[in-house]
Amino acid sequence: MLKLDRRSFLASTAGLSFLSILPRIAHADGHSDTLRVAIAGETGDLDLLQNVSTLSSYSAVFDALIHYGPGGTLEPGLATAWSVAEDGLSISFDLREGVSFSDGTPFDATAAEWNLKRWMGVADFSWIGIADAYDSIVIDTPNKITVKLKRPVPAALLELTIVRPVRFLSPRAAAGQPIGTGPWIVESYSSTETVLVRNDAYWGEKPAFARMELKVVPDELARANALRAGELDVIGGDWVAALSPRRAQALASEGMTVVAEPGTATTILGFSPQSPMMQDKAVRDAIFLGIDRAAVATVLFEGFADPTVDIFPATVPTAGSRTPVPARDVAAAQAALTAGGWAGDGAGWSKDGAALEIAFLVSEESFPGSRRIAEMIQGMLMEVGIKTNIETVDNATMHDRRPKFDYDLTFFGTYGAPYDPHGSLGASFVTASDTGPDGKIYVHPDLDTLVATALETGGDARTGAMQAVYDWLRDNTAACPLVVTQRLWAVHPRVEGFALPATDYDLPFKGITLG
Amino acid sequence: MQRMFMRRVGLALLLMLAATALTFWLVTAAPGNVAALIAERAAGSGADGEMIARIADDLGLNDPLPVRYARWLGDALTGDFGVSLRTGKPMAEEFAERIPMTLALLVGGGILALVISLAMGIAGAASNGGVVDRVLHGLALVGASTPNFFVAALLVIVFSVWLGVLPSFGVSGLTSWLLPWVTIALFPASVLARVVRVNLQDTMSRPFATTGFAKGLTRRAVLFREALPNIAIPYMTTFGAQFTLMIIGAIVVERVFGLNGVGAFFIEAIRFRDFIGMQATLTLFVVFFVSVNLTVDLLAMLADPRLRRPRKA
Repeated sequence: MLKLDRRSFLASTAGLSFLSILPRIAHADGHSDTLRVAIAGETGDLDLLQNVSTLSSYSAVFDALIHYGPGGTLEPGLATAWSVAEDGLSISFDLREGVSFSDGTPFDATAAEWNLKRWMGVADFSWIGIADAYDSIVIDTPNKITVKLKRPVPAALLELTIVRPVRFLSPRAAAGQPIGTGPWIVESYSSTETVLVRNDAYWGEKPAFARMELKVVPDELARANALRAGELDVIGGDWVAALSPRRAQALASEGMTVVAEPGTATTILGFSPQSPMMQDKAVRDAIFLGIDRAAVATVLFEGFADPTVDIFPATVPTAGSRTPVPARDVAAAQAALTAGGWAGDGAGWSKDGAALEIAFLVSEESFPGSRRIAEMIQGMLMEVGIKTNIETVDNATMHDRRPKFDYDLTFFGTYGAPYDPHGSLGASFVTASDTGPDGKIYVHPDLDTLVATALETGGDARTGAMQAVYDWLRDNTAACPLVVTQRLWAVHPRVEGFALPATDYDLPFKGITLG
Repeated sequence: MQRMFMRRVGLALLLMLAATALTFWLVTAAPGNVAALIAERAAGSGADGEMIARIADDLGLNDPLPVRYARWLGDALTGDFGVSLRTGKPMAEEFAERIPMTLALLVGGGILALVISLAMGIAGAASNGGVVDRVLHGLALVGASTPNFFVAALLVIVFSVWLGVLPSFGVSGLTSWLLPWVTIALFPASVLARVVRVNLQDTMSRPFATTGFAKGLTRRAVLFREALPNIAIPYMTTFGAQFTLMIIGAIVVERVFGLNGVGAFFIEAIRFRDFIGMQATLTLFVVFFVSVNLTVDLLAMLADPRLRRPRKA
């Protein structure tokens, strides 16, 4: 017979009571009108002039004159219309009327001028073409301004869609106060979360829910588990809280909604232009032909990537004509080496007494998952007869060696929308550009001329000028595009109407309703 | 006693100084360029060589290492640990925000480890070779051999995903602390349980325990009245060591449970090559290690008169 004394009875009762209220404690706060989005790092104070805060949060709070739409279309933001002078030396903007910052300050030509002068003509922002070419600003009317330039900047309108520093801050905002005209107002921010409340005075389509909580969860597995547990509604996005293809597959099989859309950034295998081995086009051709891009996309990205041989995907404007992705051809790769004067076979190649052996620089910190891709490529090249030595280094070493072209092969990525194609072309394919620790994908005097022409050409001729760059890169096998990784997000079933914004630098909230 | 106390404190200060010099040298010797990182923070992809050189000059990065260390130490002694390259906030501000979180994790985990280890050790000793003793021995082995990231994932899956009774990340009340505390306490609790069990077994076989049995005391009475006080010193010393090692566990636990403590900051500082953040955090760890060990040493000296006697040649 069960013997129950007073002490055991009290302990059991207390224990059972505690266990029974746990679920209520855990899920005490209601979330029916709040979207909870994971972010990998704290947002910070969203300072528009510092490269510290996470890029993805700005678009929720700040508007730009022009917004980036699907496929690079330009959509009205704080400017309802714009016109570029025929000589390209001035751009006029009709400013949206009746708009105020969330602190009540009206948005007008004076506020616009104050904002633009914070970065236009400032040396630290000379990497933005329109900032470098800036001459002056003229206030035409209280709701119309004209930006005068020293030289034409064909990509100027696209540049005005980027995240930082071009968005508009209230001139009355004190330091550290993120006050914009956007659909959300920052209620609070800390190192654990940023709370946004709906801006009911927003000029555009207002969100369907009142709050958005951006929860800092640095660990990817923890984010996935929190989604499964219903503590988060949305995870994913390369610039928000990256979701790996493998994890996405697992979440999809557990009833979570996984959203995958074509990406805007290309993963590229870069050949060092200063490596004697890589200066031999036959070697570059052999590598280009010896890689099975479809296998990389299927095996390593679980199908959440699209094989490509083009520098930019079709999702960015003026990305050029599409080139069919060739099947891997070991015989053709070996034939290219033979034609280039190399002697050998699948066991190895040599030329003028030097063995064909290349150094493949990889950093998991710089590019998560790159070691696995490198190993797969190493195996493919081995079948061609090219010996590949993978050097795994940390981020700092990669930052040190990449600008010096101190490698034979390494991975690069294009910037993606809204920075491309002008951003990556101007930075990664020009000898004179100073990209600091990022390095460059390929440089050559002939390419410098073509890129300069393409970036300076506007109007209808721009497409042709851009195509000339892409053709040169392809004809010279100057780079080896591999895949375009898809934009991956996972969403809790209570979230309905989830749609991705035009770029991965924006937070998804438009069209979402909460069940 | 006072002289010995002062000597220990002096040695601890010297140790801290040596450790900060070593960490300063190691952080400085690590690959990467502080000036480039600061320039990148200010101008993004617009950072160029000229800007990087200017920043290096302004910060005195071209000065000899001893000069830079002396300058850093002078600032650190006044509470100025510099500005984090990653977050852009002064390190003093970062610490003010994050130290309470880490302390809550360590103190809660420490108390849990203490309670669990004593309960397991005493229960094992009371059972002395019985089923309970053997089961607890097995549990301690498993606890001491399971990495905390695995424990964390397992606990989250069971209590947050399957049962839905505890939050999986962040701090939103007392329940948020349960999983992090259990995760961080498991390893030290398992090690300490073995310390308690083995030391109790040893103590129970000593002559004074045998005398207790001969006088007709029960096993429980001998265990609690005679044996337990005698294991206080080895337990305290091991607990001190385990408590300091919990800061290493905190680096993983804070990240997995989304706690914005010093450990999570440190791992992000390493990832982003935030040299200033790394140096400041390592200094904090050094102070923590040395302080806890010094406190344990002094407590042990207070508790055991033999440790207060000067050593004879």
